[in-house]
Amino acid sequence: MPTALDLSNLPDADVVALAQAGREPAFRELIRRYERPVFSLIYRMIRDRELAEDLAQDTFIKVLNHIDRYRPEFKLSSWLFKIANNVAIDHLRRRQLDTISMDGSPHAATSDAIESTSFEVAGSQESPLEELEAKELGNAIEQAIGQLRPEYRSCIMLRHVEGRSYEEIATTLDLPLGTVKTYIHRARHELRRALEHLKAEGEV
Amino acid sequence: MNHRHLLPTEIDLLLDDEEGFGVAPLKAHVRACPECLSRLEDARVITDAIEELPHFAPSFSFAESIMAQVPVYVPWHVAARDSVRNTVQRWAPASRPARVAVVALAASVASVLTVGILWIVTQTDLLVFATGIADNQLRTLLLTGSREAMTSFFGAQTVALASQAGTMGLALLVGGFLAVTTAATFGLRTIALASSRRRP
Repeated sequence: MPTALDLSNLPDADVVALAQAGREPAFRELIRRYERPVFSLIYRMIRDRELAEDLAQDTFIKVLNHIDRYRPEFKLSSWLFKIANNVAIDHLRRRQLDTISMDGSPHAATSDAIESTSFEVAGSQESPLEELEAKELGNAIEQAIGQLRPEYRSCIMLRHVEGRSYEEIATTLDLPLGTVKTYIHRARHELRRALEHLKAEGEV
Repeated sequence: MNHRHLLPTEIDLLLDDEEGFGVAPLKAHVRACPECLSRLEDARVITDAIEELPHFAPSFSFAESIMAQVPVYVPWHVAARDSVRNTVQRWAPASRPARVAVVALAASVASVLTVGILWIVTQTDLLVFATGIADNQLRTLLLTGSREAMTSFFGAQTVALASQAGTMGLALLVGGFLAVTTAATFGLRTIALASSRRRP
């Protein structure tokens, strides 16, 4: 049986095949590979860390409990993102929570809860000034993404954060290709409008 | 130069680095039009910034919480395959020459057995003859064994009398024996049960 070290070099389809054969390390490897992208997608949709973690866990539990139904002609990541998006959209519809705040979850009751649910975007630039500017731009973008409609939000994140093609996004979200293109176009347009003030201030 | 400025959808095409038909004139326009170039650069700054947004990490217990709710089953065919593989690994010799020798020996034995079975199957007459001999031998053995057992139980004279009486006599003898044995077993069981009930 391959060791954990071997698993990290295998393509998704092979790791899934091992999971289908009942190898527990393969399940853990799949979680390790996708916990951050799936959690990030849901977190940016829901904007509540604890809740996003619960929904991300639900996503993995649904996928891993039905791993025997996985068909290798599709990408595992598309399946995961599809379920992640569905659970996030379902939650937003239930809670009517379609906007997010950079200043903490709207459900946070205490100052600790507000702090723990606030976005903190790390910069990766060289100088402190550039890092600060990048952090401010990142925060502004997070805030602007949070103002988008949930459908636009998932499309723009799959396109630019996860680097998916339009066709993959259409398959993942069960949307027509033209709709995906329209959503991304509108999302970019809204983001540009939302960030115009940064350009006026000379940050963009 | 085309004096019409680019439409937002055309800016999107350039943002996505499309290479399809009709993109070359758009690129040419951008090279010649500072206003469209500025719009494209502004849009690209934003998409570049989105692409650099970090992934958030869930808590350390994230994977454990999931695995606690995901039962891992080994399908029967995988378990069977593993069992065979383990057995082979346990019994197969460690060195390669020894493994080759074992495989060669097993193949030889299998070949000889296969050829022998095929030869026997093709010899129908011989098979019928051998079956007949085996049948006779088995029947003689059973009869002799039964007669000896009855002689040791009932004595030679009783067996001789029953033989003289024919099949009916043998049936009466065996039937009587079975009836007495059953009655004795039943009686002993009743006594044992009565004794155990009296015990406090």
